[in-house]
Amino acid sequence: MNLVAMPILLPLLTAIAALLLRADTLRRGIVIASCAFQVIVALALVILTARQGPIALSIGDWAPPFGIVLVADLLSSIMVALAGIISLASIVYGYLELPCRLEHPLRIPLTQFLMVGLCQSFLTGDLFNLFVAFEVMLICSYALLTLEADDWDIKQAFPYLAINAVGSMIFLAAVAFAYGIFGTLNFAEISQRAAGMSDDPRVLILAVLLLGVFGIKAGLFPLYFWLPNSYPILSTPLAALFGGMLTKVGVYVLLRVFGTVLPQDLSGLHTVLAWLGGVTMLLGVIGAVSRNFVRGILSFHILSQIGYMVLAIGFFSPYAIAAAIFYNIHNNLVKSSLFLVGGTISLLNGTDDLKRSANLWRATPLLGVAFLLLGLSLAGLPPLSGFWGKLMIVQDGLRQGEYVLIFVALFTSIFTLLSMMKIWNASFWTQDASVPVRIHDRRWIGLTAVTCTMALLTVAVTIFAGPLIELSHQASEEIFKRETYIRAVLQLKADRGGVVDQAVSVPFEAVSDPIDGTSNPWLPEVAR
Amino acid sequence: MNLARSFIFTRVAIFLFFVINLFSIYLLLRGHNHPGGGFIGGLGSGMSLVLLSLAVGVEQMQKVLRVDPVRLATLGLLVATLSSALPMLWGDPFLTQYNIKIGGVGLGTPLIFDIGVYLVVIGITVRLIVILARPVEGLCSLTPIERTRYASEIEKPIDQPIEQKIETNWGGQG
Amino acid sequence: MLLETAILAGLLFGFGIYQVLQRSFVRILIGFVLLSNGANLVILAMSGDPKGKDSPILAEGTGPHVDPLPQALILTAIVIGFGLLSYMVVLLYRIFLDYRTTNAADLFEEPLKEAKPEEPH
Repeated sequence: MNLVAMPILLPLLTAIAALLLRADTLRRGIVIASCAFQVIVALALVILTARQGPIALSIGDWAPPFGIVLVADLLSSIMVALAGIISLASIVYGYLELPCRLEHPLRIPLTQFLMVGLCQSFLTGDLFNLFVAFEVMLICSYALLTLEADDWDIKQAFPYLAINAVGSMIFLAAVAFAYGIFGTLNFAEISQRAAGMSDDPRVLILAVLLLGVFGIKAGLFPLYFWLPNSYPILSTPLAALFGGMLTKVGVYVLLRVFGTVLPQDLSGLHTVLAWLGGVTMLLGVIGAVSRNFVRGILSFHILSQIGYMVLAIGFFSPYAIAAAIFYNIHNNLVKSSLFLVGGTISLLNGTDDLKRSANLWRATPLLGVAFLLLGLSLAGLPPLSGFWGKLMIVQDGLRQGEYVLIFVALFTSIFTLLSMMKIWNASFWTQDASVPVRIHDRRWIGLTAVTCTMALLTVAVTIFAGPLIELSHQASEEIFKRETYIRAVLQLKADRGGVVDQAVSVPFEAVSDPIDGTSNPWLPEVAR
Repeated sequence: MNLARSFIFTRVAIFLFFVINLFSIYLLLRGHNHPGGGFIGGLGSGMSLVLLSLAVGVEQMQKVLRVDPVRLATLGLLVATLSSALPMLWGDPFLTQYNIKIGGVGLGTPLIFDIGVYLVVIGITVRLIVILARPVEGLCSLTPIERTRYASEIEKPIDQPIEQKIETNWGGQG
Repeated sequence: MLLETAILAGLLFGFGIYQVLQRSFVRILIGFVLLSNGANLVILAMSGDPKGKDSPILAEGTGPHVDPLPQALILTAIVIGFGLLSYMVVLLYRIFLDYRTTNAADLFEEPLKEAKPEEPH
């Protein structure tokens, strides 16, 4: 049971230790050991939830409607595991890139606090706690964004901060509305109470508010401009962590809220979601083609990949959700590895401007192979991992007759390939005697090793695509069916003598306000 | 830099410093069943330090505080985390609380958690105010010790002492 | 009661958004203060009409209590808003030190430059 709290507790303790210790080799050892342990814990959580379904923990032994619950179902544990792996890779990369003396002493504590927020938002089973987790994560991300930014870069942090702060306030108001409508903030209970309320305009308004908020966090179409300008100012390992995980939290929460919490027949909103995804991927990839430095291209690609996942969520069938989850697994690893490759390119050429980089294929063929694998996988060429995710999305789209969106998705894939080839041609394939390759800087060996390990991991995703797709299907089944999730939470309630509504999808009449049945004027008439 | 300070204000603030701290500890201790608790107590104590910094100057206040505020906050976080993680050792859920009564006075582990919160809030409040107040008094925003702890070596300070007149473009008009 | 609260929350959100869209840093900061207070007020409204109810403090002989949960939520939200705002103050101060301007429009006026070549560490 307490295993569910470990992914939150471990980074917290690591962050405290890192703040108290001096930034030297000892601290590095402790942090690496802790990160490795976090990965092990997360993998154990994945195995456990795959075998026996969702695990719930009521914090402080308070029964669900009064206390906060942490719930690890398969999707959350997969996300926690991915976060652990990417944070480990990014920290190792950061260690190999900079000696102890030059590393910013606050980088590791903030990264670990960021992990606290990330894991908490994956594991929480409570809407307000989700808000708190988001804020922990976002405040750490603001701090990391400006930690090592120089004078020119610092202003790019401001739009990021402003748009996310407005998003947070809207989120807060949405949480308040959810409490007013349902009288609870617990995901499982909201899910029960909302079951018959899909034509209630208040639920629709709540859903639109939440869509807007999570759309901002994920970088969806109308409000995405903060992302491609702010991510390139990060240093490479942090860009890998941010690009890999931070926007994916938005996708995870969309999956969780639209899949598990809100009523499942909000089909109009799902269509909106699919179209937003389509527009985002198109604009993202056009932006990527327009950029000519590696991190800028990759930052725009985050958007287009988010578009794919949101498109799959918008299709909203168990098959499409499974596709979204598998695509998420693939994309987290590939995207962060590509950022790491970009960092190694800029170390070797002294710049990541494509006009002034060349000759890398001759210098490090291994890095070239890794980049090619990752880039083609991102574009979705068979048999690499990206292909299977895109295939599943396209299949489901064709089944639902969304031909325009599918055309956009395929068009985006071609342009993804184009922009990946742009990096390949400029950095690896071009030979230009005037461009120096700093092969004497021995750090590139370690960095290439980390990058290649990550590339191997994505190859493993390709090879074990079958089992992973099985896993995604199981996770999407869990999201769609809801019973196991709700039962896991309500079991906690029953253990403490609470009254449990036995039927999973009870109509709203069975519910009474915990404080005073008539006190809440926002409750619908049927509830009184 | 020598800012002229009112003698009356300084004396009153120094007197109030003790009173406010006493009250903040009172708030901390009654917080279990009544309004109060670690957060509000910590805010009170932090405010008393801010008042002191207005009265005697930031550097003098830091000498009174003695410890690095971030260290204080980290220590508080450690206390709170350990007190909430300890029940996990014998299998109770994370953050479980235990309460006992000794001679009519209720005691419990939430108090330890609250003391942690108290320290965190003092540390963070003081840190926030100090980092903005030091440049106003013409000092660098970090002390030399803090610079080794919380700043990178390749970083150079961007804030100059106030004596160098800052040429500004207020509102971007001209 | 609730109608007034709703109107007030709406006004706070409206003025907040208006101020956030202004150019001056100080106005932007004030806008975020208003927004955060508006959101807190919306939460408070969810605890219903407090008429004839006691504050949620446990004591002998008190009647029905006001729903305490929104108040706990607001406390947390205020703390988070405080943290966010103080970060924003420091960030805007840093931008002011770098650019010597308090006008947000000045920051982004110049055409977007090419990416700077990254300095080798």
